[in-house]
Amino acid sequence: MPDNEGLMDRFVDRLPETAFFKFVAARILTPLWAWWTPVKPLPGGPHPSFQHGDNVQCMMNLIMPLKDKSPVGRAHAAMAISQHKDAIFAGLNNVGTVHFARFVIVGDNICMFSVYDGDFTNYIRDFIATIGEVFDAVVGLVEGGEKVIPCDKNVEAFIQWVHERDLYQVPDTPTDFLRDQERLNGDKAVAPVNDDLTLLPRKMVLQLRANANVSLGSGYRAYPGYSVAQVRKQLGLGW
Amino acid sequence: MFDLSDLQGNVLRGYKDKPYVRYLILEIADRVVARRWLAAAISGRDHDVPQITSGDWGKAKPRTCFNIGLTYEGLRALGTPGSSLAMFPNEFIEGITARALKLGDVGASAPDTWPSPFNEPKRIHLIATIYAENVAQLDQVQQRALDRNALTLLGMREGNNFDGDFVHFGYRDNIMQPRFEGIHDPERHADGQPLAPLGTVLLGHPTNLEGLQWRVPQPTQLGHNGTFNAFRVLKQDVVGFENYLDQAASDLLTHPKVDEVLPPGGELKVCEVFEIEPPSRHAALREVVAAYLCGRWRDGTPLALSADMPDANVDRAKFDYDESSRCPYGAHIRRCNPRGGHIVQRVANNSRRLVRRGVPYGPAYKRDKSGDAGKTEPERGLLGNFIGASLGAQFEAMSCDWLNLGLQDPRITGSNDPITGTNDPATSWFDLPLKSGGTIRLRGLPEFVSTRGGAYTFLPSLSAIRYLGSLTA
Ligand code: HEM
Repeated sequence: MPDNEGLMDRFVDRLPETAFFKFVAARILTPLWAWWTPVKPLPGGPHPSFQHGDNVQCMMNLIMPLKDKSPVGRAHAAMAISQHKDAIFAGLNNVGTVHFARFVIVGDNICMFSVYDGDFTNYIRDFIATIGEVFDAVVGLVEGGEKVIPCDKNVEAFIQWVHERDLYQVPDTPTDFLRDQERLNGDKAVAPVNDDLTLLPRKMVLQLRANANVSLGSGYRAYPGYSVAQVRKQLGLGW
Repeated sequence: MFDLSDLQGNVLRGYKDKPYVRYLILEIADRVVARRWLAAAISGRDHDVPQITSGDWGKAKPRTCFNIGLTYEGLRALGTPGSSLAMFPNEFIEGITARALKLGDVGASAPDTWPSPFNEPKRIHLIATIYAENVAQLDQVQQRALDRNALTLLGMREGNNFDGDFVHFGYRDNIMQPRFEGIHDPERHADGQPLAPLGTVLLGHPTNLEGLQWRVPQPTQLGHNGTFNAFRVLKQDVVGFENYLDQAASDLLTHPKVDEVLPPGGELKVCEVFEIEPPSRHAALREVVAAYLCGRWRDGTPLALSADMPDANVDRAKFDYDESSRCPYGAHIRRCNPRGGHIVQRVANNSRRLVRRGVPYGPAYKRDKSGDAGKTEPERGLLGNFIGASLGAQFEAMSCDWLNLGLQDPRITGSNDPITGTNDPATSWFDLPLKSGGTIRLRGLPEFVSTRGGAYTFLPSLSAIRYLGSLTA
């Protein structure tokens, strides 16, 4: 009965698009799954790599909920940045490894996005040493921030706190994503053949439940990675 | 002056007259007995347990020295309270194997290739080090150290210092150590570098990064004056190293600008210093290459002061780097310590300094010109200890950004340390600076040094050992 089968297929294929199914999937099935197979949030930041090219122009994506969720709170955040503009430039100059630092307010979050070279902890530590007061001013406005400031007296805790808020960078390939999950669970790397990749959407859904905000990919570059100093030297800007 | 009697002696002293060194890699077999063992090692009253050597020898110089380091698992096994454990830094809690990518421990250096006992890192609790004048003394102290139900011996590593402080690859080592504020250090004269604040090496003191202090695990007795050590078993491919010098010297011989790295006739002096018979330009160029890779001629002469030839009369310690320096930006000692030279991370210049305690293992290598090919060589290397108050801010920062990425200078970014970096001959390169400006690029450097084991340990103060010995829970 080829015709009937076709009908059935089409019905099943369209199921996920129906309002009822969407409701069931999001509100009932996903929480059930999550309860059944608990998923830990994946750690943020660039994927550990030994390749030189992966260790320059790395991304940090922080989304930090403001304590004061009102226009007044947002204005405070805006002021905290603009009042420290000079210090921020001085910091960029002295740390020497940051390409861009951007501050964005989205909803009631202050977001800090940056592109830096080398190891994340060195980058944050060097910033604490140069312009810790800027971090203190911003993080002081953020939920839970009071526990880790002043940052120069809480270096390790501050770096850890920032790291925990750095968004997970979802790899572009399913195998890399599964590898991240294995690493987190302390599993020995399992050859990808052992994993049924058709289950990926489910694993991905659960992961995005645990990490609600993520970065898709690790940034896409129009040219191979260079360090800040390489760019500045090449352009004759001094480094 | 700072009171050294609360520190373990190996933190600030090199025990120069005790060339035989043995590392006992131990697991705590019984928490209660192990605590008693620690208490005995501090009091020195129980002759069955060797006494921990402190930084203050008083009048009687000990004949042998004995020091310990504890891993995170070791502190846990002793029953250190959870609230104290949580105050130790992440990298120490995770342990050295978890940090493999940062340290360049990949491929032949990857932790899953490490031999016993380093293949079971969680079982490594305590590393005890014995320093002695001869092997018989090592054996005696070892017997006393182990004669209890406290500890299980998982493995040992052993080495001895060669005459004249030479290490495998033929370099003179042990020239530089940081000099500390408030520490009387007659062994070292002024080297032109700023004194390192005590917090470079001890928890609870100001560090070189202005205003920054590392977290001191509480109670104070436990954390204060403690420090961290990266213990590394670094295998050295001595034959590969000498072969590379051969190859690079041959390439240089025909290079149009070779006279800039070895002036005509310079081979006579170089060969004289290194007692090479008969003198030849090729033989001298081998030494030139070795000198550029390290930043020092193999006799210790810094290139920064004497680039054309080794010179026993120049100061080995006192020099600085600037743009006109003939020491390559990528040379080992310049990467590890850029001194006052211009680097990208301006705040980092003096902040990543390390106390180094190393001893070669394996027999001294004598190059046999008739050809080493086909001969199986015994394993050789360096048992290295890289000590600093913050593993993350010092040892790891140096390893990942400076040794294996070259971030500190755009002219070396994308290259690894020529001696100890995780090099791949297909992509590696190293630039020799020329007097006239410009460079000669060497390629094809293999990985001369591979990691065969290691552990991050906490080197507790004597008060801390007393505290750990008195735990009851
Ligand atoms: C088997 C591997 C290694 C060998 C053969 C080696 C050899 C040397 C030699 C010959 C020197 C010059 C002597 C001196 O200045 O005292 C030196 C200096 C130094 N090395 Fe290494 N090294 C090795 C691994 C490492 C590693 C892994 C690190 C750090 C992570 C390191 C850090 C340093 C530092 C900090 C200095 C002193 C530089 C200065 O202050 O001028 N070394 N090394």
